[in-house]
Amino acid sequence: MSLIKKPKLTREGLLAIIVAAFILFLSLTTNFSSKSGIYSFMLDVSPTMVAAIGLSMIIFTGNIDISAGTISGFVAYTAGALVKAGAPMIIFVPAAILVGTLLAGLNGYLTVKFKVPSIVVTLAMNMVHVGFYATFLPQSGWIENLGPRFTWFGRARLFGIIPYTFLVAVVVAAIFIFIMAYSKFGKKLYAVGGNVQSAVYSGINPDRIVIKVFFIEGFLIGISALLRALTRNEVMPSMFIGRELFFISAALVGGVSIFGGSGKITGAVLGAMFVYLITIAMIYLGFQDYYQFALQGIIILIAVFITVADFSNWKKKRLKASEGAV
Amino acid sequence: MNEKPILVIDGIEKSFPGVKALIDVSLDLRQGEVHAVCGENGAGKSTLMKIICGVYQPDGGNMILNGEDYSIQNPNDAYARGIAIIYQESSLFPELTVLENIFMGHEMQKPITPLLKMIKINDYPSMRRRASAIFERLGMDIDLDAIVSNLGVATKQMIEIAKALTFDSPILILDEPTAALTSKEVDTLFGTIRKLKTEGHSMLYISHRLDEIFEVCDRVTVLRDGQFIKTEDVAKTNRDKLVTWMVGRNLDTLYPKIEVDIGDVIFEARGLNQEGILNNIDFNLRKGEILGIAGLAGAGRTELALAVCGLTKLDSGELYLNNTKVSFPNYRSAQKHGVDYISEDRKTFGLVLEMSVKVNLTQKLQPKISNIFGIIRRNEEDLYTEDSIKKMDIKTPDSDFIVENLSGGNQQKVSVAKALVIDPQILILDEPTRGVDVGAKSELHRIISTLASEGRSIILISSDLPEILGMCDRVFVMKEGRMAGEVMRGEMSQEKILGMAL
Repeated sequence: MSLIKKPKLTREGLLAIIVAAFILFLSLTTNFSSKSGIYSFMLDVSPTMVAAIGLSMIIFTGNIDISAGTISGFVAYTAGALVKAGAPMIIFVPAAILVGTLLAGLNGYLTVKFKVPSIVVTLAMNMVHVGFYATFLPQSGWIENLGPRFTWFGRARLFGIIPYTFLVAVVVAAIFIFIMAYSKFGKKLYAVGGNVQSAVYSGINPDRIVIKVFFIEGFLIGISALLRALTRNEVMPSMFIGRELFFISAALVGGVSIFGGSGKITGAVLGAMFVYLITIAMIYLGFQDYYQFALQGIIILIAVFITVADFSNWKKKRLKASEGAV
Repeated sequence: MNEKPILVIDGIEKSFPGVKALIDVSLDLRQGEVHAVCGENGAGKSTLMKIICGVYQPDGGNMILNGEDYSIQNPNDAYARGIAIIYQESSLFPELTVLENIFMGHEMQKPITPLLKMIKINDYPSMRRRASAIFERLGMDIDLDAIVSNLGVATKQMIEIAKALTFDSPILILDEPTAALTSKEVDTLFGTIRKLKTEGHSMLYISHRLDEIFEVCDRVTVLRDGQFIKTEDVAKTNRDKLVTWMVGRNLDTLYPKIEVDIGDVIFEARGLNQEGILNNIDFNLRKGEILGIAGLAGAGRTELALAVCGLTKLDSGELYLNNTKVSFPNYRSAQKHGVDYISEDRKTFGLVLEMSVKVNLTQKLQPKISNIFGIIRRNEEDLYTEDSIKKMDIKTPDSDFIVENLSGGNQQKVSVAKALVIDPQILILDEPTRGVDVGAKSELHRIISTLASEGRSIILISSDLPEILGMCDRVFVMKEGRMAGEVMRGEMSQEKILGMAL
């Protein structure tokens, strides 16, 4: 029995190889490896990376958040409105993230309190949010000409090529990979999603974990929405409608099981990259937006097929293993 | 062994909707003893253990641990006070590793750096060392990074024990630990239990397998229908006494078999195969006969029933009904031919728990009592429901009562009544009395006997050997997907059947 883990090819490792191969392929066949190509890839992928981490954690526990996109809209609006009112970055960034945290936290609270599946709660909230944009926000939440006070961070680059937003995404990813691997909390997420009954037997309070994970997801959605909003001179909440599909597909492509209980943050991060590489490849190949959507859908289907296939194999494998023991 | 009790349980009461699970139950556990708690299914053993472990809160009574009041709110409290349980059903997380599983919820931690003592992270090297030491103590070599779903049942059981040992608990509770083990694995487990005993652990050992009690236990407490019956030294008792205490009545009333003239062969299966599950199975069934199918868990009994009813696909094999070849590509066609199956898992496959007795009873009846637009004729539905409730003696306040709140026995009666709608000539009952209290058990047996006397043929799958002996005209024993033997009523004995099954 060795005390050190033996390295072996995991699902995430395989995905990393695919992503690397994809990048190499794009670099050789297109001008992807140009300064602007790399810059725009990093800029585009950052918000989805961060949000996919949040969604993955929700999915680990066997829940989902369909309103992640529309929550992003509120985050962006809050930031924009505060900037228009003259608030400095030190105020509007935390305030905007807080809005995201609270809205997602509300989803978690409703899910646990009323024992309604999160897919129902967040689907309803998605609709409530969209209605709210149109009804209560001035000009449906459109705010234009925000100026450099809003956009400087989103457009800043390190060494002229790495967007600051990407640095934020990388730091967030590193922190959450660490948390999932080295904290009690991280293991509890898998426990709740993998086998609620056993989680209770292990002294875990699943309700509390679910509420916490929704708050954390909201925090990450807040960061994600800002990473996207801050690159633009105007905010419009409606541009975030439907974004949750990208976040969820990144997580699923990254091997996070929709049934809960398994998956890795690393997978979600790589999944986000993969989803964007596909999009970029299609742009280079000259396909239109709608084709990209269709392909995205097909990729999700394939990813879910793989998890389902794994799931049924799992039963067979277990049977074989138990026979082996007998 | 020390005579002084370390855990005293006094007058515990617990009710669930529709059933009193525990009525005034008391027992005491001494330092360094293995104390068996036995009783039939539904006697309240597992409920009692879940109360001791904080999963359920008792409605009344009190518990004293080491002279102090022991009232706890959740499983964490129990672990903190030094009581760990090894659950009957696997409480492991299938997608996590062995190491992650055994420390789930109580990971060992260390400060992230010596400077930042506030922030704690999981200390994997320490956990590994600790886990290795425990598995070494158990005399077991295991890959700590293996994913649990890939491991066998016996290994999982050992992981559960290792998990309990990580708490350093002086008191361990083993809930039916041998249910899924082979006899060789059981020996290993008993070795472990004796070892833990010499190390000073006290254990509550829940089982309904009497032989095991005589092999490893010091004292035994018997529960029946949620009531405390007796605590006795194992050395001062014997098998027959235990059975009498557990059953509380003689076998004739528990197995009210009606003698029936058994007719010709009505159904025959030849060479049934299903890869890796069923291996060349032949059997026949006569009119009015109760045919038992015995065997260990995983021997393929349920799988055989599913395949016969068209619920799963056969790779090869032929079925004959009244000497005519038939095939059941799906369950519906089996039912049309008068073959029906009642699942062992009534809560998942047999009933719609959240719906009323009426809805459940009339599920299969609906095509018969609805008009051409598919609208159900209410009066016929009511008539049929009342009739069934009376005939089966289902104890329910009214026909709109939610099935979930009925007792296990009455739920099972609803399952049986539901199957009778299509007037099946062949009825396959899979563990019909599992988790049912003794009274309801004898009523179910009476129902089964009556059905056979009406000329129906019954296939009774059961792990309960006394039930097989008491009810069946003939028994087939299955082992690892094969037919291991056949015993006629006159020649049946538990030893003979077990000998074939093992």
